[in-house]
Amino acid sequence: MSELMPNVSRRSFVKTTGALGALAAVGGTVAATGSVFGKGTPQAHAEAEEKVTWGHCAINCPGRCSLKFHVKDDEVAWVETYTSKDADFDEVQPRACLRGRTYRRWLADPNRVNYPMKRVGKRGEGKFEQISWDEAIDTIASELRRIIDAYGNEAVYIPYATGVSSSTARSLPRFMTCLGGYLGSYGDYSAAQLEMITPFTLGSKGFNGSTLNAAEDAQLILAFGTSPTETRQGGAVSHYDWVHLRERAKGKIVYIDPRLNDSAMGRSAEWLPINPGTDAALCSAIAHELIVNEQIDKEFLDTYCVGFDDTTMPESAKGQNKSYKDYIMGTGYDMEEKTPEWAAPITGISADRIRALAEEVGTAKPLYVVQGWGPQRRSNGELNSWSIMMLPLLTGQFGLPGTNTGEREGSYSISVQTIPAGTNPVKAKIPVFLFTDAIDHGTEMTALNAGVQGADKLNVNIKCMLNYAGNCLTNQHGDINHAHDILADESKCEFIVVWETVFTDSAKYADILLPDLFRFEQVSQIGTGGDHAYMISGQPCTTPKFERKTLYDSLTLLAAKMGVEEEFTEGKTQEDWIKELYEKTRAKDSELPTYEEAMEMGVYTRKNPKGCTIAMEAFRKDPVANALDTPSGKVEIYSEQLAEIAATWELDGDDALISPIPVYTHGFDELDIPTEEFPLRCSGFHYRGRTHSSWGGVELLKEANPQEAWINPVDAEERDIVQGDTIRVKNAFGEIELLAKVTPRVVPGTVCISQGAWHNADMSGDRVDKGGCINTLTTHRPSPLAKGNPQHSNICEVVKA
Amino acid sequence: MTQYAFYFDGTRCTGCKTCEMACKDFKDLDLGFAYRKVYEVTTGETTRDAEGIIATSCVSYPFSMSCNHCDDPACVKVCPTTAMHKDPETGLVSVDTAKCIGCGYCHMACPYNAPKVDRSKGHSVKCDGCADRVAAGEKPVCVEACPARALDFGTVEEMSALGRIADVAPLPDPAYTTPNLYIKPSEDALPFGAPNGKVVNPLEVE
Amino acid sequence: MENAMAELPLAIFTTLVPFGAGAFIMLAISFFTTKFGADELKKLDKLSIAPLAVVAVGFIASFFHLASPLSAFGVFSGIGSSPLSNEIAMGIVFFIVALVYVIMAFTGKLTESSRKPFATVVAVLALVFAVFTGMAYMMQTIASWNTPLVPVEMVGFALLGGAAFGAALIAAARAQGKESHSYASAAFVLALVGFAVALVALIGHYGVLEALSSSLVAGATLAEGVTGYLVGFGVLGAAAVVLLAACMKKASIGLAGAAAVLALVAIFLVRFAFYAIQLSVAL
Ligand SMILES: Nc1nc2c(c(=O)[nH]1)N[C@H]1C(S)=C(S)[C@@H](COP(=O)(O)OP(=O)(O)OC[C@H]3O[C@@H](n4cnc5c(=O)[nH]c(N)nc54)[C@H](O)[C@@H]3O)O[C@H]1N2
Ligand SMILES: Nc1nc2c(c(=O)[nH]1)N[C@H]1C(S)=C(S)[C@@H](COP(=O)(O)OP(=O)(O)OC[C@H]3O[C@@H](n4cnc5c(=O)[nH]c(N)nc54)[C@H](O)[C@@H]3O)O[C@H]1N2
Ligand code: SF4
Ligand code: SF4
Ligand code: SF4
Ligand code: SF4
Ligand code: SF4
Ligand SMILES: [Mo]
Repeated sequence: MSELMPNVSRRSFVKTTGALGALAAVGGTVAATGSVFGKGTPQAHAEAEEKVTWGHCAINCPGRCSLKFHVKDDEVAWVETYTSKDADFDEVQPRACLRGRTYRRWLADPNRVNYPMKRVGKRGEGKFEQISWDEAIDTIASELRRIIDAYGNEAVYIPYATGVSSSTARSLPRFMTCLGGYLGSYGDYSAAQLEMITPFTLGSKGFNGSTLNAAEDAQLILAFGTSPTETRQGGAVSHYDWVHLRERAKGKIVYIDPRLNDSAMGRSAEWLPINPGTDAALCSAIAHELIVNEQIDKEFLDTYCVGFDDTTMPESAKGQNKSYKDYIMGTGYDMEEKTPEWAAPITGISADRIRALAEEVGTAKPLYVVQGWGPQRRSNGELNSWSIMMLPLLTGQFGLPGTNTGEREGSYSISVQTIPAGTNPVKAKIPVFLFTDAIDHGTEMTALNAGVQGADKLNVNIKCMLNYAGNCLTNQHGDINHAHDILADESKCEFIVVWETVFTDSAKYADILLPDLFRFEQVSQIGTGGDHAYMISGQPCTTPKFERKTLYDSLTLLAAKMGVEEEFTEGKTQEDWIKELYEKTRAKDSELPTYEEAMEMGVYTRKNPKGCTIAMEAFRKDPVANALDTPSGKVEIYSEQLAEIAATWELDGDDALISPIPVYTHGFDELDIPTEEFPLRCSGFHYRGRTHSSWGGVELLKEANPQEAWINPVDAEERDIVQGDTIRVKNAFGEIELLAKVTPRVVPGTVCISQGAWHNADMSGDRVDKGGCINTLTTHRPSPLAKGNPQHSNICEVVKA
Repeated sequence: MTQYAFYFDGTRCTGCKTCEMACKDFKDLDLGFAYRKVYEVTTGETTRDAEGIIATSCVSYPFSMSCNHCDDPACVKVCPTTAMHKDPETGLVSVDTAKCIGCGYCHMACPYNAPKVDRSKGHSVKCDGCADRVAAGEKPVCVEACPARALDFGTVEEMSALGRIADVAPLPDPAYTTPNLYIKPSEDALPFGAPNGKVVNPLEVE
Repeated sequence: MENAMAELPLAIFTTLVPFGAGAFIMLAISFFTTKFGADELKKLDKLSIAPLAVVAVGFIASFFHLASPLSAFGVFSGIGSSPLSNEIAMGIVFFIVALVYVIMAFTGKLTESSRKPFATVVAVLALVFAVFTGMAYMMQTIASWNTPLVPVEMVGFALLGGAAFGAALIAAARAQGKESHSYASAAFVLALVGFAVALVALIGHYGVLEALSSSLVAGATLAEGVTGYLVGFGVLGAAAVVLLAACMKKASIGLAGAAAVLALVAIFLVRFAFYAIQLSVAL
C-alpha cells in the first residue's frame, strides 16, 4: 500500500523522523542486561524548592563552558548557563552550547552506568552483571598486581581519553605512578601531526597562534580547514569569537575547505572549495606566484628563517638545491615547478583563481593565516599543515599586529594547576595512536619503526589498560573492525578497566566497568579561554545517585587495597586537592578571587588585558634576544633534524614521506588515491551534534543533528541517491549505514562524514555499522612522522541501502 | 498593550541549535517537538569540469525561528475553540490547553510551522514567548542561550529598531500574518518566495 | 502521504458527509419526479435512516482526529471566525433538521403536504453543509487548499455520491419493482452533473497545485504523487455514472448499490489525496 502512496507532502517529514527514531533506537539497543542500568527518565520541573548550582562542561570540546543547574528535589530540572538578558556583544559569557543544554538527558540516560559491573559475555559483546564495589576493587587490585608482577609496569597502559578535563581529571597517571609506573604515551588524536611538525619549524612554543580577535586588523584572513563556530561552540570560545570577528573584521575572509562549513554559512561567497589533503599544493603554487611576482619579504626570510633559499641553508645542505625555493621553482628534488597550472588539477582550484588569491596574499598587510586541524589529521598531515605555515613567512606577515603564524588560533586563558602525576618510573612512551599495535606486537615496536620515545624499543606488549572517560578503544580509534579483533582476544590485552557514565562501544570491552560521576556531580574547577579568559568553580548539582563514585574516590579505594593510599592521596580529599591547586594558581595570579569567592561566584571571567595575543610577537621584535628553541634559533623552513629523521627512520612504504622542507605529497596510496572500486574520497569533520562520541546516545541531539554523509548532487545522481536516502558507505576496512545529505556544500568526488557517531554493528555477524561511525572506514596505519591518526584520509564507494 | 517581538541577526547565527535545545530542556520537550527550529537554506551548485576544476555558486544560510506572535495570527483565526489566543497585554500568542481540542488547525494554518498537536498531551503546543519569564522581567531562554548573541527579545518598538520585518526565505510574505520578528539578514539571505529559497534540512525541523 | 494517513479520520469524515447528506438531495428530487406507492414510501422512509447514520459515522470518525475529543463542544466558540467552527455548526444544523425529518419519516408522520417541502429543506441544507465542509479548508496560508474549487468539489461529491446512494435506497424500497424508472433518470442526471462538476474542479485544482510551491516542497511533486488518485476518481466515478445510466432501463439494488459503492470509493480516494497535497505558503 505504502508504495502506491505519493510520499511527499507539506509536513510528511514529521513522520519521517519516525524512521530516524527507529534507526536511533537500534543504535541505542546495546546488549546490556537491562536492570543494571538506570531507567531514570528526565524529570520535568516539579513543584519543589529550587536550588541553583554551578558546574562546568568537562568534555574535550574545549569550551569548558559554564553550566547552571536548576535542581529540585535533588533532581536536575533544567540546565542553564552563565548568561544575562542585556549582555552587550563584547561581554565575556561562557554560554554552554546545544550539547551542554542537553546534559539533563545524558545525566538520566537509560544507558547510564549506575553500578560497578563485571563482564560476563565475550569481550566486546556487551554482557555485564552488577557486582559490589568491594568485588570490583578486589578484582582490579589482584589483576593489576598479577600483571605488574608477571610483565612489569610497562605492560600497563592508560589509553588516550579526553572525556573529562578539570584540575583533578588526570588522577589515573598519578595513581599508576604510585604503583611503580606505566607505559607512557605522547601526542593525541587532535593535532598529532601538527604538534609534531611545529617544534621543528617554530620551536616548542610555536603551536599556539594569535587569538582570533587579533585578526580584526587583518586585510585578509585565510582560514584553512577550520570551522571555529562548530569546533568550540561555547559563548566565550571560538564560536563566539569567530562571530565577533566576522562582524568586526576589516578584511575579507577566505575559507579553504572541501565543504562549506557552518562557519562560512551566510557568507558563502567566501568559500574556496578544495580537494581534501591538497592544501600543500595550493600553498606551494601561491609561494610560486609570490616568488615570481617578487612579493616575498626576502629581508624577513633572511633574518628570521633558515632554508628559504640557498642563502640561509645550513652547511649540511647548502648548494644542493634542497631549499624551499628550489622545491617551488622546479630546481629542487623533484625538479617540478609548482606553478598554478601544476596545482590546479591537484587542488581542484583553477590556475586563475590561485593567481588571484596569490595576488591578494602578496598584498595583504596584515595577513592572518589560521588553520584548523582538519588539514593535518591526514596521512600527509605533517607536510600538509606545515605548508600552510609558509604563507605568513613568505610575505613577512609574522609576529606583527593582525597576523598569525598559520597555526590554529591561540587563547588567553586562566590555567588552573592540575593534580601532579609525579615522575613516571617507566620511561618508554608510544604515540597514542599505536596502542593497538602495542597490544598486538609491542615488542616489535622501536624508536625507528614506530616512534617509541624514551627507549629504543618496547620490552613487553600492553597487557592491561585503565580507560577513564574515553571511547578510543574502538569508536574513536582508527579501523574499529581491526581494533575489535585485537581487543576481543583476551590473551592479548588481559585486563581492561573502564570508568564511564554511559554504555559506550569502548565500555563493551571492559572486564570491569565502573560508574563515574560527572564533574558537575562533584566539586570541580577549571580555567580556560578564547579571546578572553574564564574559570569555573563548581559544586555537585545533586547527591551521588545509585552507586556512582568519583574517579578520585574509586582510585583511593584501589590505592588503599594496593597499599599506596598515603602516596596517592597525601591524606587529602579531592576537594582538598582542588583547593590546594587553586591556591598555587592564585599565588601566581593574584587577581584571582579567593577559593571561597570563586566557588560562590561559579564563573569568573577576565578580558585579555592586552586586547589580543599575537603569536611570535617577541621573536619578531628581537629575534636574537627572543630566539626560538629550534637548533638555529630561527624559523626553520629547512630542518636538519627532519633530514636526519628522514634518513634514519624505517618507514613502511614509499608513500610515507618525511621531508626537511614543507612539500606536497598525496599521502598514502590506499587512503588518498581513489580507485575504480572506491572512487570517492571520504573526509571527516567534527559535528555539532556531539563532541566526538560524547552525547552520541542522546536521542534529542540525534534527532536535530542526524548522522549523514554529505554528498554532492553530481555524485548522488550517478548513484541514484536523493536527499534523505539511507545509504551505505564502504571501503576496504568496513561498511557503514547512514543518511544522505545531498548538498552543493561539498566538493564533487568527496563525501564528508562527521566523526563520533556510535558504532553499532553485529561484530559476530556482517559487521555493517548501522550507527554510521566513520572509524569503521578508517585505517590504523599511522602518519609517517608523528605516527598520528590520519582519520580524515579515506576513500570509499557509496551505494543506496 | 505592549506587543513583544523577537529579533534575529542572520549575520551572527551559525545554525548551532543551542537556542532550540535550550528551549527543549527548559520546556521539557521530547522527541518530535521543538518550539524553536533552525532551518537551513542552501542553493546553487558545486561542480567539477573535465580538468577537475571545481566551480561553486553555492549559497547557504541558517535561520532560527520560533512562533512569531503575529499581529494577524493565522493560527488564532482558524482555531475553532479560541484556545489559540493572543494575550491582550503582551501580544504573545499561546494555547489555552483547557480549551484546546487538538484539532490541528493551527498547525495546518501557521505558515511558520510553529504549533503542533501533542496527542499524548491532548492539545496543541508551541512557543509561548516564555511568557512567565517575560512577566518576571527576564528574556526568553532561547534568547539568553545563544552563544553567538544572534537573538533578542523586547517590545516591538525596540526590536523593529534593530532590523526589518522578517521577509527572507524560507519564510512567507510577512503580509500574511504580520509576524513580530525583526531581522538583520545575512549576506546570503534570499527574499521570501525566491524559487531557490528552499529548506534543505526537513528532517531536522520535523 | 504520511500526512494523509494522519488525517485519515478527516478523509473519512469528508467522504461520508457528502455521500450521506447528498442522499437526501436525491430523495427530495425523487419525490418530485417519481410517484411512489404507499408501501414503497413506507419502506423508503424507514431506509432514510441510513444516510443519516452514514453522516453520523462521519461525525464520529472526525472525533478520532481530535487529540481531546471530549472537549469538542468548545468548537462553538469559534463560530463566525473559524471556518471549522462554521462547518461544524452548519453540520449540526443539518443533522438536527435531517434527524427530525428521519424521525418523522420513520414514524410515518410525514404527511402528503409536508414531505416535499421538508425534504427540500433537508436537501438544501445538505448542499450548504457540503459547501461549508469544503470552505473549512480554505485558509489563506495553505495555498493548495485556498481555492473555491474545494467547496465546488464537495458539491460535486454530494451530487455524485448522493445520487448513487439515494438511488440505491430507492431501489431497495422498490425491490418488488414497478414500471416507473423516472427517479433513476434523475439519479443519472444528478450523478453525471456531480461527477462532471467534481472532475472539472479536481482537474482545475490539480493545475493550481502544479504551479504552487512552498519552502519545503514543490506542488508539482505533490501533484505527481496524487495523480493516481485523481485517475482512480475518474474511472470509478465514471463507472458509477454508467451503472446509474443502466438503471434507467432496469433499476436494481445490485446496479444502484454497486454505483453507490463505486462513488463512495471514488470520493474517498480524492479526499484522502486531498490531505497529501497540503502545501503552505511557506513552511
Ligand atoms: N575518524 C575520526 N576519529 C577521531 C577524530 C576524527 O576527527 N576523525 N577525532 C579524534 C580526536 S581529535 C579526539 S580528541 C578523539 C576523542 O576521543 P575520546 O577521547 O574517546 O572522546 P569521546 O568520544 O568524547 O569519549 C569521551 C568519553 O568520556 C565519557 N565521559 C564523559 N564525561 C565523563 C565523566 O564525567 N566521567 C567518565 N568516566 N566518562 C565521561 C563519554 O561518555 C565518552 O565515552 O577522537 C578522535 N577520533
Ligand atoms: N562540536 C564539536 N566540537 C568539537 C569537537 C567535536 O567533536 N564536536 N571536537 C573537539 C576536538 S577534541 C578537536 S581536536 C577539535 C577538532 O577541530 P578540527 O580538527 O579543526 O575539526 P575538523 O572538523 O576535523 O576539521 C576542520 C575542518 O577541516 C576540514 N578539512 C578536512 N580535511 C581538510 C583538508 O585536507 N584541507 C582543508 N583545507 N580542510 C580540511 C573539514 O572539512 C572541517 O570543516 O574540535 C573540538 N571541538
Ligand atoms: S560541549 Fe563544548 S561548547 Fe558545548 S558546553 Fe561543553 S564545553 Fe561548551
Ligand atoms: S543559538 Fe544563536 S547562533 Fe545558534 S542557531 Fe540559535 S540563533 Fe543561531
Ligand atoms: S507564527 Fe504561527 S503560531 Fe505563531 S502567531 Fe504567527 S501564525 Fe500563530
Ligand atoms: S489544535 Fe487547539 S489551539 Fe490549535 S486550532 Fe485546534 S483547538 Fe485551536
Ligand atoms: S521564547 Fe521560550 S518557548 Fe519560545 S522558543 Fe524561546 S525558549 Fe522556547
Ligand atoms: Mo581532539
